[in-house]
Amino acid sequence: MKTPHRLRANTGTVAPFLFILTLPFLTLPPLAGAQGESVCVQCHAAQSGRGAIPVKPWRESIHAANGISCSDCHGGDPKDAANAMNPAHGFLGAPQEVQIPSFCGRCHVGIKEDYLQSAHGRALGKGGPTCVTCHGSHEVKKAELELINEKSCSRCHSYDRAARIKAAMQETEGMIVAADRKIHGFRKLGIETDAYEKGLYSTRNRYHRLFHDVDTARIVAESARIRGEVARLNGSLGVIDEALRKRKLAGGAAVGLALLAGIGCYLLKKTYD
Amino acid sequence: MPLFKKLFDWLEVRIGVRELAEKELTSYLLPRTINVWYSMGSILLAIFALQVVTGILLMVYYVPDADKAFKSVTAIMNEVPFGWLIRLCHAVGSNMMVLILLFHMFSVLFMGSYKSPRELNWLSGFILFNLVLGISLTGYLLPWSQLSFWATTVATNSVGAIPYVGGYLTEFLRGGKLVGPPTLGRFFALHVALLPLLIASVVAIHLFLLERIGVSSPPFGQENSANRWEGDRFRYEDHPGGIPFFPNYLLQDMTSIFVYLAFFFAVVFFAPSIFFPFDAFSPANPFQTPAHIKPEWYFLANYQTLKLFPNEFIGLMVQGVAMTFLAVLPFLDRGKERHPLKRPLFMLCAIGGIALYLALMIWGHYS
Repeated sequence: MKTPHRLRANTGTVAPFLFILTLPFLTLPPLAGAQGESVCVQCHAAQSGRGAIPVKPWRESIHAANGISCSDCHGGDPKDAANAMNPAHGFLGAPQEVQIPSFCGRCHVGIKEDYLQSAHGRALGKGGPTCVTCHGSHEVKKAELELINEKSCSRCHSYDRAARIKAAMQETEGMIVAADRKIHGFRKLGIETDAYEKGLYSTRNRYHRLFHDVDTARIVAESARIRGEVARLNGSLGVIDEALRKRKLAGGAAVGLALLAGIGCYLLKKTYD
Repeated sequence: MPLFKKLFDWLEVRIGVRELAEKELTSYLLPRTINVWYSMGSILLAIFALQVVTGILLMVYYVPDADKAFKSVTAIMNEVPFGWLIRLCHAVGSNMMVLILLFHMFSVLFMGSYKSPRELNWLSGFILFNLVLGISLTGYLLPWSQLSFWATTVATNSVGAIPYVGGYLTEFLRGGKLVGPPTLGRFFALHVALLPLLIASVVAIHLFLLERIGVSSPPFGQENSANRWEGDRFRYEDHPGGIPFFPNYLLQDMTSIFVYLAFFFAVVFFAPSIFFPFDAFSPANPFQTPAHIKPEWYFLANYQTLKLFPNEFIGLMVQGVAMTFLAVLPFLDRGKERHPLKRPLFMLCAIGGIALYLALMIWGHYS
């Protein structure tokens, strides 16, 4: 028989053992902190003047969301504060106006080609718009049809033709966004969506290339072709939708049966009580 | 049913099943004031059984090889008939097991059922809680997804914060310098062999203790809710005039299990994605750290605690001290009173502790 005193004495022996036993299971430390911020962001964020301006817009941009940091565009060494802005370490700084399409086009190769062939690109250096005129620089967002709007286009010319182009693309944009959302939802359920994602990625890229074209007839024809492709994709996605609908019906039946069984047991228990 | 009767008689003359059934079922009396919280243990047993069955079925198709694991899980979800159902039941079930275990522990805490002479029941339950967290953590790696790979990388990294032996422990857990194929082999062995065996053994000890000591009376609905244990000698806590386990309380257990199953199926069929972040369905890529990865909900409080301290080891120590305190609580709390409303200091600490745990969990989720 153990007295309370002896039990208290044993606590000292048990505690360290338990501490060691539980340690491996207690931990799951900061995963989000695994990626540190570059010295560019650390230094610019700490500034109070003009230098701090790009940080907040970049943090909210599509570039930041996809892990594209300062040095990916501006060069330099993002790990060494002393050489972060050293041209010998590849620092490019901010481009001149006529250099902007080439600056962005290092990654967006196809879009650069489309832009340079368009009326916008042909007016480069002669008062025409560059990439940042419509997309902004650090605040660049995911390319969507809303980028074509009266306020933005009317800065340089009338909105009529842009409005016709936007109308032609509106339905296509809606279909692509809806298909993308649906695929995303399927993927979150563990459904293999690789083939659908690749198909839509290619279609979406073709659609995005239309953004930099200003030939209304071509845009209307190409938009119709793209809508046809997305409609075929939607047909395949519909088969999955139907399977999921059946799963939910089965699920509803399973939940109902479990509840009925529970109620049955409860009533039987009440009878015995 | 002559066949059943024949079988019963055959067993009766050999092992005395009638006496056994009477002793363990119909004459096994429970307190009249027993409540629904006492059925949490039965729900947990049902969940554990379901985890074992679905786990065995998953093992038929799962390949514990770093090159094939993700593909095999994708095949289970998309090609194997009802594979998606088996896997979702297993994955959702592991989360539910932790949730119901927490409810079970809270009910034992609030009803003072951990007090003497049930220190060992509490301790075995606490060890089970840690083993369940361990089996969840090891199972997390097996799909070899981005989420599982990076969660395991950082979890095993943190062991390295222990002075002197941290580096060796990390390497031992991983089977190498980095998380890789040997880690998958180790975690698979732990998940499907060692930990289930340990859990089953500790469950057996837990049930043996329950059977040997007797079920504690709830502190509610009694004038004197103080602990009646005298500590002079062993006494089985019986409940004369109580309700029989069979059929009365077994039907309560069944009611609770079916209500649980209804909730469980609702999650499995209608909202399984609440337990699957997007990165759970991308194959592991050791060269790309996901930006917004978070641990499972039951590790969020630990995750946030570690972030609050500048030194990871201090964070580990604080959690270790808190868990050790919880483990040895029955040895520290020697008060006789069991009714929660008559234990204001306990209530303050317990509600404060739960609020802190929830706050850290929510903070961790949104941080």
